[in-house]
Amino acid sequence: MKEVAIVGAGIHKFGRFPDESPIQIALEAVRMALQDANIPWKAIEMAYCARCYLPASTGARIGAALGKTGISIIDVESACASGAVAIRQGVLAIQSGACDVCVVVGVEKMPRGFMEPTTLGFEPWQVYMGLTTNPSYWAMNARRHMHEYGITEMHIAKVAYKNHRNSVHNPYAMYQKAFTMEEILNSPVVCSPTRLLEICAPNEGAAALVLCASEKAHKYTSKPITIAACVHSLPLYASDFRGPIYQLSAKVSNPNPGVVSAKKAYEQAGISPKDVSVAEVQDTDAFNELIHYEELGFCGPGESGRLIDEGATEIGGRIPVNASGGLISKGEPIGASHVGQMVDLVWQLRGQNGPRQVANARVGLGLVTGAMGHSAITIIKR
Amino acid sequence: MPGNEKAQKKQVPIKEGFFTMPLSPLENVRLNGSKCRKCGEVFLGKAIGCENCGSADMEELPLSKRGKLYTYTVIEHRPPGDYKGPDPFVPFGEGFVELPEGLRIVAPLTESKNLKIGMDLELVVHKLFEDANGNEVIAYKFKPV
Ligand SMILES: [Zn+2]
Repeated sequence: MKEVAIVGAGIHKFGRFPDESPIQIALEAVRMALQDANIPWKAIEMAYCARCYLPASTGARIGAALGKTGISIIDVESACASGAVAIRQGVLAIQSGACDVCVVVGVEKMPRGFMEPTTLGFEPWQVYMGLTTNPSYWAMNARRHMHEYGITEMHIAKVAYKNHRNSVHNPYAMYQKAFTMEEILNSPVVCSPTRLLEICAPNEGAAALVLCASEKAHKYTSKPITIAACVHSLPLYASDFRGPIYQLSAKVSNPNPGVVSAKKAYEQAGISPKDVSVAEVQDTDAFNELIHYEELGFCGPGESGRLIDEGATEIGGRIPVNASGGLISKGEPIGASHVGQMVDLVWQLRGQNGPRQVANARVGLGLVTGAMGHSAITIIKR
Repeated sequence: MPGNEKAQKKQVPIKEGFFTMPLSPLENVRLNGSKCRKCGEVFLGKAIGCENCGSADMEELPLSKRGKLYTYTVIEHRPPGDYKGPDPFVPFGEGFVELPEGLRIVAPLTESKNLKIGMDLELVVHKLFEDANGNEVIAYKFKPV
């Protein structure tokens, strides 16, 4: 299979920008990525735009502002995994020979507060009955896992503590503020056991990558980053708890989509969990990060509490996770979140992340999950 | 009955197919489900296809009124969208309730305190609100036994 490389990476800070349109936000990320690759827009052959909450043909509008070159620009959506699916489409386009160079951009501009339920796919009866608080589904999953394996609220708070502390060094994060354990544990409960400082906010932002067939990457960079795997899964029957579902089987037990995606991604990349130097995973609530340790094989089932206790996932630990500060501090513009994870991992592999640099990072892994159980993983290596 | 001011209001289900009929008296109403004739999986309401095996061969199956709390949380803030619960908002429990038919359904709970995984729960069928046509919209929740 043809190998695909990342030759340019760009980002627009995640946060809230009332004076900027989504197109302006996206343009900043795309221009930065093009400049990083030292490639003009007119040399780009295709583009994919990941977004959920923005209008149809957002990608076409971004392209128009860069110059109407007539190329194919397609919007893609797969809830919080939209960015990963856009990257995957770019990889497939290059592998198929449809193009040699393409741009992937993720962008979102979302209102404050809980996500609008009907966009997430909740039906009117679920709205009327109040079953539409998105984080409540994560909280119910956390409560059950805690019951089965003895993970504690302290373990959850430690994840939030680590990620907020890492964010201090990330100028692209919405919040760059460290909190004490006491502040985290005393922050208001959103949906027990989840607290305000342990949860991420939907917000605004963009991130972009320039992808290129590896055989031609030398034209643009001396440090190409190889996409070793990019996979996307939907859940097997009854294997995912996320809204807008309203029931699960009590009889059938299938591996959850994170486990399925991890297996596929490691196989595609030809690596095992111990080969991962640095990971960015979806910490939309801090408990989710713990679950992802287990899904990704960084520890065994139910052992994620011990992993955070040991400090293994801190910068300088055995397997640093969310050195960027994670979505807890960056916020989650859902079209942009995974592309943003990969931008930060590209910088990690190039060794240009300053105080949050993971020493000698060779393999980076980004993971996202979303409504309907969308699950995606991208692995890059140098 | 035109002219009869004491005419009973009409009850309508919050979602077609979720309840056994008739919807009055409420205490006789049960949740209604569909059972796949091919693989035996059970779904709340009227399933149009089996998510487990793909079969469209379903039979109606009224569900038990008693269940056990599989997991839960407490909704501390008004849910987004057109929530029809009490105004001003009152926090409430939300859980997956495991029914003997082999499924776990998401449901509001009558309590927000002293919830415990494994506790016994009982179905409460109730009027949630009146719709624009003056119909009583019937919904469900579960209460600790
Ligand atoms: Zn079936």
